Amino acid sequence: MKIGVFICYCGENIGRTVDCAAVAQACASIPGVAVSVDYKYMCSDPGQNLIINAIREHRLDGVVVGSCSPHMHEKTFRKACSNAGLNPFMFEMANLREHCSWIHDDIAVGTAKSIDLVRIAVEKVKRNEPLTPIRVPVTKRALVIGGGISGIQAALDIAGAGFQVVLVEKEPSIGGHMSQLSETFPTLDCSQCILTPRMVEVYQHPNITLMSYSEVEKVEGFIGNFSVTIRRKARSVRADLCTGCGDCVQKCPIKKKAYSEFEEGLAFRPAMYVPFPQAVPNIPVIDRAVCTYYKTGKCQACVKACGRGAIDFEQQDEFVTEAVGAIVVATGYKLYTIDKKPDDSQYKGYGEYGYGVYKDVIDGLQFERLASASGPTGGEIRRPSDKAVPKKIVFIQCVGSRDESKGFSYCSKICCMYTAKHAMLYKHKVHEGEAYVFYMDIRSGGKGYEEFVRRAIEEDHVKYIRGRVSRIYEKDGKYIVRGEDTIAGMQVEIDADMVVLATAMVPQPESAVLAQKLGIAYDNHGYFVEVHPKLRPVECSTGGIFLAGACHSPRDIPESVSMASAAAAKALVLFGSDVLEREPVVAKVNESTCAGCFYCQKVCAYNAVERREIRDRAGNLRKVVAYVNEGLCQGCGTCNATCPSKSVELIGFTDEQLYAEIHALA
Amino acid sequence: MPSLQHVVKDLLASGAVEVVIGYEKAPGQNRTRPFFARTPEDADRLVFDFSALNNLAVYLTRQKRPAKGKIGIVAKGCDARAITMLMQEQQLTRDDVHVIGMECSGVTAEMGADLSKDTLAAKCVTCKVQTPPLADTLVEGPKDYERPDDRNGARMRELEAMTPEQRFAFWAGEFDRCVRCYACRQACPMCYCEQCVAEKNQPQWIETSATLRGNIAWNVIRAFHLGGRCVGCNECERACPADIPLGLLNRKLGMVAGQEFGYAAGMDASAPTLVGTWDKSDRQEYIK
Repeated sequence: MKIGVFICYCGENIGRTVDCAAVAQACASIPGVAVSVDYKYMCSDPGQNLIINAIREHRLDGVVVGSCSPHMHEKTFRKACSNAGLNPFMFEMANLREHCSWIHDDIAVGTAKSIDLVRIAVEKVKRNEPLTPIRVPVTKRALVIGGGISGIQAALDIAGAGFQVVLVEKEPSIGGHMSQLSETFPTLDCSQCILTPRMVEVYQHPNITLMSYSEVEKVEGFIGNFSVTIRRKARSVRADLCTGCGDCVQKCPIKKKAYSEFEEGLAFRPAMYVPFPQAVPNIPVIDRAVCTYYKTGKCQACVKACGRGAIDFEQQDEFVTEAVGAIVVATGYKLYTIDKKPDDSQYKGYGEYGYGVYKDVIDGLQFERLASASGPTGGEIRRPSDKAVPKKIVFIQCVGSRDESKGFSYCSKICCMYTAKHAMLYKHKVHEGEAYVFYMDIRSGGKGYEEFVRRAIEEDHVKYIRGRVSRIYEKDGKYIVRGEDTIAGMQVEIDADMVVLATAMVPQPESAVLAQKLGIAYDNHGYFVEVHPKLRPVECSTGGIFLAGACHSPRDIPESVSMASAAAAKALVLFGSDVLEREPVVAKVNESTCAGCFYCQKVCAYNAVERREIRDRAGNLRKVVAYVNEGLCQGCGTCNATCPSKSVELIGFTDEQLYAEIHALA
Repeated sequence: MPSLQHVVKDLLASGAVEVVIGYEKAPGQNRTRPFFARTPEDADRLVFDFSALNNLAVYLTRQKRPAKGKIGIVAKGCDARAITMLMQEQQLTRDDVHVIGMECSGVTAEMGADLSKDTLAAKCVTCKVQTPPLADTLVEGPKDYERPDDRNGARMRELEAMTPEQRFAFWAGEFDRCVRCYACRQACPMCYCEQCVAEKNQPQWIETSATLRGNIAWNVIRAFHLGGRCVGCNECERACPADIPLGLLNRKLGMVAGQEFGYAAGMDASAPTLVGTWDKSDRQEYIK
């Protein structure tokens, strides 16, 4: 074998603590090395040409570059090798920078270690084999999970580029939390006015298949080739017959047994319901838990009301399987509900703030409904208990956020802004009213955000008090909010008529379950985790799955929409090619020695290990062995380490190669 | 209450199984040897008593199986645990075998000896499975026996009290006698690999010559490969011509599995294996 060794100075980075010329000279005498040179910047054009020319001139069949880390320039040098006609996998990199020069001061130590590192790489390259990238076909269809604003945006972007999208939403209608909001900061546009056209666009788009009231049941496959099973929950109404006239909803006699999810428990909804008037699709659902028919079999008011015969009490959940190449996860958030127990009442618990005990201590989303023209009060700010207009209102920020002792370490990010908006909306609607905000800091980074908060303070005269509230209690029909004003350095007590808590944003409660189905990472709060916080912020470590919106971290609407478009763009990049090329660094099973214990299958984090039957010529089953799906395998090597008979090898990092590397040091 | 011979005769006559793996009388006093009964007449040759020492589950491993079709097997508690473990590791399916579970009142440590408190096999001293945890047909029998002091338990405590250096010296002394005959591996029902790591030569992880370094590597790797899998049948120790107390090593790993994870190997065919199964509630204080 003829191997070329190329030692890079990386300017001063390596050259300062490694005598590169001496390393090149020493490495020339390693058996198998045909040429060994040093150069100031090996990654530069002349540096690469040095490699290319040496490969041609000396007919090299292996190349070792001693330079920075593979993360930096492995691609560069592989490309140089293949430009010269050498298989790029006959190239190895010795990390003389991060692993050597940067961590040593002594030039003698650094030089000796560099020679060792190069020798190790030379021994490895001697055992390398030419490899070809794995090519997998791409199914150019996308699945979007979650029909809030993020999911809607991602679906519209992908569909707009001409690809099919399946949009799955667990609620009866798409729209998500944005459909519940009254007006949006910092421009005070009406939320529904800007959202509903997008919802309709989704419904009418020829490239989008909308599956509302549906959930992801199972995900199989890998990037470019997912197979997703979706549970279409039984609405008890046939979507193909229903015209959305609403007669059944009108006639449903069970009006006051279930709180409206859309109204955040501030109003009732019938057993037969559409979440809100602009729902998409406008097809009702029967809540089987409260419907009289499902309890006693007696009432059939909706059946009588329906002129289309669309009511189907016997409807069962259906399962459909969709083949997609990319998945956008946009499952959004919920508000943190400390001790709020929904069993017998929507209002119970929440310790010292009386949330769930006092009817007029509500959360941010409930206030949105009170402020919304489509809400239970028709947009008038009236407190839940006696429908009176509150003359004094207190907003408390950071309830659960930035508070590890009772809630979460993180900042929920949107609360400063929506609290300013709430206070402003209140002042616009109740001119003589007084609004107080208890805050820790005001975090208003964003275009027009700081100006918006200043407007609330300066023009609308919202009184901001920096400090925490210790307790809220009821006295003579008032809610006494006792807190601290840390700027004035004194205790304050406000006798409020109503209190709004800006409770923390949390991921959907089933997010961990979904993450496990998808095989993606999630943090200790249940937020999904990206591959790289800066450079790959919307990609999951599992290829082909992208993140959008508040399922990743607390985000407001503009950020969610941008992230959704970014996720859509990533999916479209994937759809830009017919086949995917992947590194051939995957595990391979030696079927003749595999005993089929399937420990490898148990430890595989990517579900890449499958079972393959080995039959003799007569067709009799001889044994079942493990088989690695190259499309799914991420090359982590866990199976390789687990196999008791060493029947799994990681291509490119075989035991033989690693053993030779270790042996090179002995 | 049907006898073993009746059960086997029925199984073979009806064609429910192709062969029954059991014990037959061997020449000499109190001796049995493995026997493959293939015809109903063969059933009369089967015996089961305190001299039925072998763990016959080893014949269910793929390369040693005596028939392609369904196999019947005579199994004591410890043997049944090995069969269960083979199922947990996909080496057998429940339908591959008909387990004739034998209630057991202990076996002798040495072939030829009568059963007494003094000759009772070490594995029987602490045995908790007089009734096999897995059986298609259960043949009832005496289950009580007098148990001597747990000599190996006392020995274990001595070893545990040693410093790591002393303990290493102890085991080095034991492994020094190893002749690398691999009888331990051949007797073990859990050693079913088609190519043992000891035979892998590209690269060669374990030195094959009978020198101390290779011997330590071999015996320690084998012990680790049995962690959370060994059912304590002690066949390795019985087969060892150099009298290395392999059972102690395996028992220690089994104790750790029990203490740290509440796990006992081969008690439930549907249970996950200890190794290769991750659980959120696993204690992780060893990850520093």
